[in-house]
Amino acid sequence: MSNSVKFRLNGAEMTYTENPAMRLLDALREGYLLTGTKCGCKEGECGACSVIVNGQLYNSCLVAMGSLEGAEVMTIEGFSKTERFAVLEKAYQEVSAVQCGFCIPGMVLASECLLASNPHPTEEEIRVGISGNLCRCTGYNSIVAAVGIAAQKGEGLW
Amino acid sequence: MVTSVFAHSLKEALEYRRNPKWIPYCGGTDLMVEGDEGAAYLFVNQVPEMRKILVEDNRLRLGAAVTFTEILNAAEVPQILKEAMGDIAAPAIRNAGSIGGNIGNGSAKADSALVFMVADADLRLASADGERILPIKDFYLGRKHLALKPDELIVEVIMPYKGLENYYYQKVGARDALAISRLSFAGIMELEGDKIKNFATAFGAVADVILRPKEIDAIMIGKTLEEAKALKEEYLKAIDAFIVPIRGRVSVEYRKDVAMNLLKDFLEVKGL
Repeated sequence: MSNSVKFRLNGAEMTYTENPAMRLLDALREGYLLTGTKCGCKEGECGACSVIVNGQLYNSCLVAMGSLEGAEVMTIEGFSKTERFAVLEKAYQEVSAVQCGFCIPGMVLASECLLASNPHPTEEEIRVGISGNLCRCTGYNSIVAAVGIAAQKGEGLW
Repeated sequence: MVTSVFAHSLKEALEYRRNPKWIPYCGGTDLMVEGDEGAAYLFVNQVPEMRKILVEDNRLRLGAAVTFTEILNAAEVPQILKEAMGDIAAPAIRNAGSIGGNIGNGSAKADSALVFMVADADLRLASADGERILPIKDFYLGRKHLALKPDELIVEVIMPYKGLENYYYQKVGARDALAISRLSFAGIMELEGDKIKNFATAFGAVADVILRPKEIDAIMIGKTLEEAKALKEEYLKAIDAFIVPIRGRVSVEYRKDVAMNLLKDFLEVKGL
């Protein structure tokens, strides 16, 4: 593969020439200095490293850079510039759905992916949508409420 | 230094596969848990021939690189497989994980493989020198021991498209999202008129490989429900003797009890 991977990162063309076996998580944090993506468990259990690849939620700890040829990757840094993010941010604030904040970048991207495929989720569907993202502070109820509020307030955005 | 290779086509992937040093990489959800940065991967996640879902000659063909999410969203896929896929982990894992990886990982806990076993699916295996069709039951030789030659790739799963509607599926795990099966069971009873046309069971995470007691299940085939009911005790006894659980995180006794309870529930739910 001549050790080069062409992909888009938050809309910008990138050519990655380092080790193809490196985790996307490590490349994001250490190579591209995008530290909004958090490292929790490195085994796909916690969701802190969630990013969006080709419109779908992925655990960046379980993605090797070499698999990303032609892919579109969006991290919380890229998503934070969108109108949808502004709605989610406000909703999370409204019900104090953020405590320590470590899970939040992943939670917000999981919320985005859920709403993108299901703009009017039921409470149960919200819980399934964020089921791969662990939060040790909130007990989830406020996060579930925040996603519900975002769905209402952001009517038409998703 | 080329440390990994990316395949654009099946032909290219199989050429690379002549060299056993490349590790086939599809979704990465199992491989990357190890996260070996020295690994030499053969990326097959975008090989077009391994990404198809299609119905041909009344058989469903699923490319090995098809993800769990894609299976959940495909109209052609039988409900039993969708139910098992929906129970796998959480959305991010389902978006990445592939059926080829789930099968090739060789685990007796593989949720998709359990359904492929009970459905008596075939695997299409290919190498640069040719290809063959192998019943999935013959693919698993022992713990992490597969009938896959060093130069072969799993290209497709080929399974029945009909006759799987009257099914039973249960997975017993510790936590809903991400739970690895402690035990799983799938059963199919297909009726034609008042006779049992097909009767199949499979037990996951009980032994080193997924158990598929085909010969024992066969005693139910061709029988009426009444005749099958009369055979129930004999059948249960035979399965009880057939299942020899391994000790893992849970005890042998627990595995055996749960396996037999799920089987009995399947029979009851289906009127036997």
